[in-house]
Amino acid sequence: MIGSQTNLGEALKHLVLILGALTVILPFYVMLSYSLKSPSEIERNVGGFVGAQAPMVDERCVKLNEPGKSEIAAAKPRFAGRSEREIKEKLVEELRQKCTMSPVVFNYSKAFSEAPLLRYLLNGLIVTLSIFFIQVLVALPCAYALAKLQFWGRSFVFGLVIFCLLIPVHAIALPLYIILSKAGLTNTYAALIVPWTISVFGIFLMRQFFLTVPDDLIDAARMDGMSEFSIVWRVMLPTAIPALLAFAIFSVVAHWNDYFWPRVVITGNRDLFTPPLGLREFKGDADGSFYGPMMATATIIVAPLIIAFLLAQRRFIEGITLTGMK
Amino acid sequence: MSTAAQSRIVPYTFVLPALILMFVILLAPVIVAAILSFTDYGLGNTTVSWVGWENYEKIFKRSHYEKMMTATLLYVIVVVPVSLGLGLGAALLINSLRWGGDIYKTIYFLPVMAALLAMAIVWEFTLHPTIGIINDTLTSYCDVAWLRSWEWYDQGCKDTFPLWLGDKRYALWTLCFIGIWQAFGFNMVLYLAGLTSIPRELYHAAELDGAKSAWDRFRLVTWPMLGPTTVFVVTITAIRSFQVFDTVEAIFPDSGGPAKSAYVMMFVIYEKGIKHNLIGFGAAVTMLFLIFVLIMTFIQHRLVDRRTHYS
Repeated sequence: MIGSQTNLGEALKHLVLILGALTVILPFYVMLSYSLKSPSEIERNVGGFVGAQAPMVDERCVKLNEPGKSEIAAAKPRFAGRSEREIKEKLVEELRQKCTMSPVVFNYSKAFSEAPLLRYLLNGLIVTLSIFFIQVLVALPCAYALAKLQFWGRSFVFGLVIFCLLIPVHAIALPLYIILSKAGLTNTYAALIVPWTISVFGIFLMRQFFLTVPDDLIDAARMDGMSEFSIVWRVMLPTAIPALLAFAIFSVVAHWNDYFWPRVVITGNRDLFTPPLGLREFKGDADGSFYGPMMATATIIVAPLIIAFLLAQRRFIEGITLTGMK
Repeated sequence: MSTAAQSRIVPYTFVLPALILMFVILLAPVIVAAILSFTDYGLGNTTVSWVGWENYEKIFKRSHYEKMMTATLLYVIVVVPVSLGLGLGAALLINSLRWGGDIYKTIYFLPVMAALLAMAIVWEFTLHPTIGIINDTLTSYCDVAWLRSWEWYDQGCKDTFPLWLGDKRYALWTLCFIGIWQAFGFNMVLYLAGLTSIPRELYHAAELDGAKSAWDRFRLVTWPMLGPTTVFVVTITAIRSFQVFDTVEAIFPDSGGPAKSAYVMMFVIYEKGIKHNLIGFGAAVTMLFLIFVLIMTFIQHRLVDRRTHYS
């Protein structure tokens, strides 16, 4: 009796959780599905998840490559004895064949050809990695000094770090934007990177970590004649790898996905767009038939982190919830 | 230089870069915003004049800034408790499962990883009145009799189902839904961590004291033990909800929602301060925003302190 009751309870729990999971997955399903289907299937909401994948003609491709006078003239030998109009018709027919493809290929190739998506992805990589490396470069020595060195003003510096934890960088975007624009830095990589170079959270986190490193280790290094500088980078850094990895995930995820800050400082120059900004621009330009390529773009932007997360879940959850350690 | 003098300088060289950046990037902007909020400054303007409290008066007197306050506060007041409740509920359910918990944990965490901007655009399509999958599904069950007895549903079948993001009665609630969808997995993970740190013995002790039902165990052990986690979840979710921007800008780039129903603070700072170059006014909104954040963090610290004294 009790057994069947708990089984029922267990089943009910699964039922609730499955309903929740379906709601959570719904937009991912829509995104992936739209990125696979043809415009007409999207518009009529048919075709299930992958659509029929019936070959479709890319009208833009046809229009763009419409045979001109020179092409017709060049094709004359192939169609001896035909009139120019007939040759043009033949050429257009060939062109339509060439511009025929399955919807998946259409969506994903358009995602890359309609906008410099590769460039956006590269920018995302440059920006997120630069931010992380500079954050570590600034935070690590500071954290070491706060944890292990005695100096006048130490508690003041630490108090300042704690105070700065209160300031969300997004909230002070406006004055930062003015400072950057006065310095002539808007629309540069620097504008995307500089405001994030100081991570007070990173300093705090690494300080807490360094407090747990035994003093003997540092004293031994000093006995060996190591300078404080090399102690930071050759002794402390290696001990801090697990904490740094978690911080790396935290930092990279936040800045790869960030939309607000790039929107503020990058106004016109598409060459500097980060992935979310590129997608937003794609949406602004899109006309009716471009839902597919847009969803393909969204999929490509979201995929790297989702895949990395699925491969190393524990580490990612640890990294993202780092803020919980405050 | 002697080595002693050198070792006295070393710590300062280590903290100096961080110190400079903290001043330039975090503290100076707060001061700059505070000063500019009392002026009519704009980039490229040749003159700047001191306008006193005018910018702040505007926030409290003009009707669309009243809408800004309503939208922002409503968003926070809805998203924080609901995403907390769902996060806690999911954590409790998953924790009590005999098998399969990890799969749900993975799925529920997915929205936390995905760029919110991209997912906002996807939700917009999902909720699209004509081609969206939601209204399409709703319409397809219109011949089910027992569903038609639900007045709202019947109305939808006879007329049309809501435009969701296009209807001022639904727009902000729909944004709240997206916000909750994105945030609750994060809260779930924090609660799962909190749950594993509750000692088993406490439950046994509670049972000996007569806590028989699951509700009693939750009320007497689980909820109090999760106190610090809850305080943290509330603060971080509140601060993040206050900063909602991506969904609003992606879906309502020019308007801030139908009838400005989703005219949230970060969007106002962006629209007025950056797009319209009304920097003085934008700075005033920024200051108000910082005050909100400060108050919330202050409350958090008070609550955490009390707990530590308590235990």
